[in-house]
Order: sequence, then structure tokens, then C-alpha cells
Amino acid sequence: MLIELLTDRYPGMRQWLTQRLSAVAMAIYTLVLVLLVAIQQPANYAEWHAFFSPWWWRLATLLFWICLTMHAWLGVRDVLKDYVFNVVVRSYMQLLVELALIVDLIWMVTILIKMN
Amino acid sequence: MKFSIYRYNPDVDKKPYMQDYDIALEDSDQMLLDALVRIKQVDDTLSLRKSCREGVCGSDSMNINGKNGLACITKLADLEQPIVLRPMPGLPVIRDLVVDMTQFFDHYNSVKPYLENNDPLPETERLQSPEDRAKLDGLYECILCGACTTSCPSFWWNPDKFVGPAGLMQAYRFIADSRDQAEEERLENLEDPYRLYRCHNIMNCVDVCPKKLNPNAAIAKIKDLKIERAKENKEAKSKTGKKIFGIKVL
Repeated sequence: MLIELLTDRYPGMRQWLTQRLSAVAMAIYTLVLVLLVAIQQPANYAEWHAFFSPWWWRLATLLFWICLTMHAWLGVRDVLKDYVFNVVVRSYMQLLVELALIVDLIWMVTILIKMN
Repeated sequence: MKFSIYRYNPDVDKKPYMQDYDIALEDSDQMLLDALVRIKQVDDTLSLRKSCREGVCGSDSMNINGKNGLACITKLADLEQPIVLRPMPGLPVIRDLVVDMTQFFDHYNSVKPYLENNDPLPETERLQSPEDRAKLDGLYECILCGACTTSCPSFWWNPDKFVGPAGLMQAYRFIADSRDQAEEERLENLEDPYRLYRCHNIMNCVDVCPKKLNPNAAIAKIKDLKIERAKENKEAKSKTGKKIFGIKVL
């Protein structure tokens, strides 16, 4: 049901739902993160490293970052569309945001892979 | 009582300016509209719309001390002085406090604010159960004053694309009507990324509505309904299934 709403058939719903679903996913991740940190209380680099090492947690972190990227992109794009009226300036700003988010995502992926 | 009022007559003025008034009021002048009528006795060049003077027609909506409202039901005693009056934001000014509401009503008309029912006309009225009728409460009372739509930043930034809270609430008023048969078309009509989804729930509309209505809730219900209907369509499809060579597959 939700998958269908994320297709071209529902352009408005797709964007709205993507932001809501990514927000829910990020909220769940954040809650679990806070709980785990409260329980395990990693104190130094080695403990933090160990904290993020399990494959399932790295996968969750990756999913969180993908959600963050999508959520931020949709949000910033809306703000730019609303406030920057010059198309050329807006296009460059959008490109800049896209690049920053993609570089950020790639950076996160490399960190997560390197943890092995 | 002290007032600072937005003045602009495009035939004479190069740009808008604020004019100060200090007016002696009578005891009977309780509402802002009473004071404006009193000001007009002193300065008849001041333009504003008014009609019913009891919060029913929605003509005298304006920006009062920074917040949209109806002059006729705003108590003078509740306002800080000088009372700053401006036309409603986001719409072209025709003169002084009078704005051009064409855009607002274009959006209103775009949601087809009338009952669509292709059944033959019954001999008497089309009846509703009390429960179905109750679904229209909080929706039908809208007087189309425009206070909500013109206090919505989504409308300010996309006045040509975003329907605005008033229009969307009227869309839902007919979607929720048990006598209406065009629910699917009405939902489809609001699908593009701007018409409905530009609402980001900042609730300015709820804050300013002089009739204490909640356009934001109506907008949320439209979104919920769209998900609901997509779910039902999916279920209906999976029940029917697809038939390949006469064999039912999901």
C-alpha cells in the first residue's frame, strides 16, 4: 500500500510520505541510540568503536543516514523553492546542497565499512 | 483612541504609507468596526469593506495589530494602542484596507465547492443521518473571509499553486459530505505537490480563524483519507487479483 503511494502516480503524496516515514525511522533510531548509550555508557574511543561495530547497528546507522539525506534534501529543496526566486541562483544552491548531502552519505558509508 | 492605518490609493500615492488617527469614541463604540466607521466620518477617503457587522459576511477581514481578524467582532478593549491596521497580507491591495481576493476565490472555485451527485433529483431533500450531518460541523461554518489563507506563509510563497487553508477546508467539507459522489475526483484534484502538500502544519490558520474553525485538521483528514483510499484500492485489487489464462494470481 505504502509502496504504491511512493510512485509517480502520487507525486504530492510521495514527497509528503517520504518525509514522514523518514522522520519516524529517524525518531526510532534516535530513541534506540539514546537507550543503548544510556545502558552501555561508552566512555572512550575504543568503547564507542565497539558500540557501533555490530553489523546490525551499522546497518541501522546507514539506514538512518539515508533517511536523514532524503529528509534533509526534501526539506531544504522546499525552503529554497519558497525563498530563492532567481532560478539560476536556486539551481546552484540546490546543487550545492545535493553535493554536500551526497558527500556526507558517502563519507558515512566509508566510515561504517572501515569499522571492520 | 489612537490608530495607525495603512493607506494606499494607487491613483494618487506613489507608495503606501501609515496614517495616524486620534479619534474620540462614543460609549456605544465597542468593536473595531465601530471605530473605523467613526474614522470614516472624519476622513471619508479611508476605504474598507464591511457589511453584516456581526461576523457572518467576512467582508471586514484585515490585519489587526499584526494578526488577521474581523473588525466587526474584535473588541476595542482587547487591543493595544496605537491599533495598527493593515490589509490582509499576501494579496494585492486595491486601496487602503481593501484587497483583491480573486486569487483566493480562484482557489476556492478550483475545489468545486458544491455538491456533486448524479443521482436523479429526489422528490424532497437528500436526507442525511444525524451522524453524517455531524461530520460537516466545523467545516460548513467557514465564511470565506480569507483570514486563514492570507496568514499562511505557504500561500504567501506559492499563491498561484497552494490552495490555502480556506479552500482546502471547503474541499474536505464536500469530501466528508455523505451526499457527494465525487470523493475520488476531489482527492485526485489535490494530488500535485503544491495544492495540498504545501501545508506544513504551522497552524497560523487555526490561530487566526474568527469562527474558531480548524482548517489544519481538515487538511490532515484529507491526507489520511488519501492513504486510506489507496489502502482500500490495494485490498480490492488483491481480492480480485489478476487473471492470467484464467488462473487467478495476486
